[in-house]
Amino acid sequence: MTSHHILREFDKGMISLKADVLLMASLARQNLERAMRSLLERDIDLARSVIADDSDVDDLERKIDQTGIDIMVRFHPVASDLRLVITSMKMAHNLERVSDHAVNIAKRSKKICKSLPLDEVGLAEPLYSLAGKLLRDALMAYTDANAELGEGLKVRDRELDRMHKQMIATLSGRLETSPGRSENLLHLIFVARSIERIGDLAVNMGEDSVYLGDARDIRHEHSKASTPAPQGSSESDALA
Amino acid sequence: MVSMQTAIQIQNVSFAYGAKQVLHDVCMDIPARQVTAYIGPSGCGKSTLLRCFNRINDRISGAHLTAGSIRIHDVDINRADIDLQELRRRVGMVFQKYNPFAKSIYENVAFSLRVAGKTKRADLDDIVEDALKNAALWDEVKDRLHSSAFGLSGGQQQRLCIARAIANQPEILLMDEPCAALDPLATLKIEELISELKKQYTIIIVTHNMAQATRCSDLTAFMYLGKLVEFGPTMQIFENPKDPQTEAYVTGTFG
Repeated sequence: MTSHHILREFDKGMISLKADVLLMASLARQNLERAMRSLLERDIDLARSVIADDSDVDDLERKIDQTGIDIMVRFHPVASDLRLVITSMKMAHNLERVSDHAVNIAKRSKKICKSLPLDEVGLAEPLYSLAGKLLRDALMAYTDANAELGEGLKVRDRELDRMHKQMIATLSGRLETSPGRSENLLHLIFVARSIERIGDLAVNMGEDSVYLGDARDIRHEHSKASTPAPQGSSESDALA
Repeated sequence: MVSMQTAIQIQNVSFAYGAKQVLHDVCMDIPARQVTAYIGPSGCGKSTLLRCFNRINDRISGAHLTAGSIRIHDVDINRADIDLQELRRRVGMVFQKYNPFAKSIYENVAFSLRVAGKTKRADLDDIVEDALKNAALWDEVKDRLHSSAFGLSGGQQQRLCIARAIANQPEILLMDEPCAALDPLATLKIEELISELKKQYTIIIVTHNMAQATRCSDLTAFMYLGKLVEFGPTMQIFENPKDPQTEAYVTGTFG
C-alpha cells in the first residue's frame, strides 16, 4: 500500500525494515562480488575484507528480525503488511546465507591465491554471472512485490544447476589428470558449489516474493508435480 | 462454505431509518455453528444488520427493510405473521454494555423462562445450572445464586447475560461488541467461551477489535457505508484480502 498508516510509528518501522533488507542485500551482493573478484584477480586483501565485513551482514540480520518482532508485537500487522514483515525476515535469513557463501568463496580464494595461478578459476565466472542475475532479480521481486518475476527464478536456476554440474564434471576430470593441483581444484569445486547454492537462495527469495505479492505459497511444489524438475547439483554431486 | 448448513440467508437487504438509507443490497449466507464477525468503521451498518436478525430494530420508529429478505430456516423473518417473541428466543442477543436485570443471579437466567411459562422449580434449577455452566460462570457463582447480579464483576455480568440468552436454547447468538466494556482478561474469557459455544450455536459478533475477529471468528465480513465489501474466511480476510478497501481497513491505512 502506498497510503500511510494512521500510526506513524508503524510506518517508520515498516520503512526501516524494508530499508534494512535492501542495505543487507547490497552488502551481501558486494561481498559476493568482491569474493569473486579476489578469486579471478588473485587479490588476497579483497578476500580478507570480505571475511571481515561479513559481521555487518550478520548484525543487519539480527536488526531486521528484531524490527519484525517489534512490529508484530506492537502493531499486529495483517494482509500485505503482515506479508511484508514475514517476507523481510525470511529475506534477511537468505541474504545472511548468501554472504556466508561469499565468505566461503573468499576463504577458498585466499588458499588458491597462495599457490600457482589456477587457470580453471575462469570456469566459475559464467556461473557467478548467472547467479548474480538471479540474485538481482530476486531482490527486485521483493522490492516490487513482483510475484511473476519471483516465480520465474526457479526455472532460470535450472540453467545454473546444469552449468554447475558441467563444471564439476570438468574439474573432476582434471583432478584425475593433475593430481599435483588437486587441493586447489577441490577448493574451486567448493567455490562452484557456493555459487550454485546462491542460485538456490535466490529461488527461495523469489518464492518468498510470490507470497509477498500474491499470498501464494509455491515452495516445494516441484516435489508435488507429476514430472519432477531437474534436481540440479546436490552436495553429493559436488563432492563426487 | 458451500457444504456448510446456512443459518441465515441475507438476500439483497436494504434498510432505512426513516428516509436515511443505512444498508444497501447486502447479500450473504451465514453458516450454522460457525463464528461470523462483522468489522467496519463506525456507522457502516454492521450493528444495524445484526439487529435485523432478531428484528429489534422494529422498536425504532421509522426503521424498516426497504428491500430484500432475511431468512432463517428458509422462513422470511419479516413476514407479518412472525411471532417476535419466538424469533427473539431463537435468536438471542448480547449487548456491548452488560445489562443484567436488577435481580439475583438465578433470577436473571430464570426470568425469561418464567415469562415463557416454565415455572417448575426443578426444571428451572436444571436449566439455570446448565446455562451458567455453558457460560463458564457456574463455578464462580454456584454458592451465591441468590445474590444480586450487580455484585458480579463486569466480565461475570457479561457472561451472565450470555447465560441468560442461552437459557432459552436459541439457535443463533448475536453479540454486539460483547467485550467493549471489559478488561483484557475478561475479554479472553468471553472469547474462549465463544469458541466453546459455537459447537452448539451459530454466533454472529460485531467487533471493532480486529485482533478479536482474527482470534475468535471463522468468517469475517467487512462492511463500509452500508455495503458488504468482502466476506470470507477470517484467515483470508486478514492475510490476503481481495478488495482494496478491506486491505486499507484491516491494515489501518483507511481514510
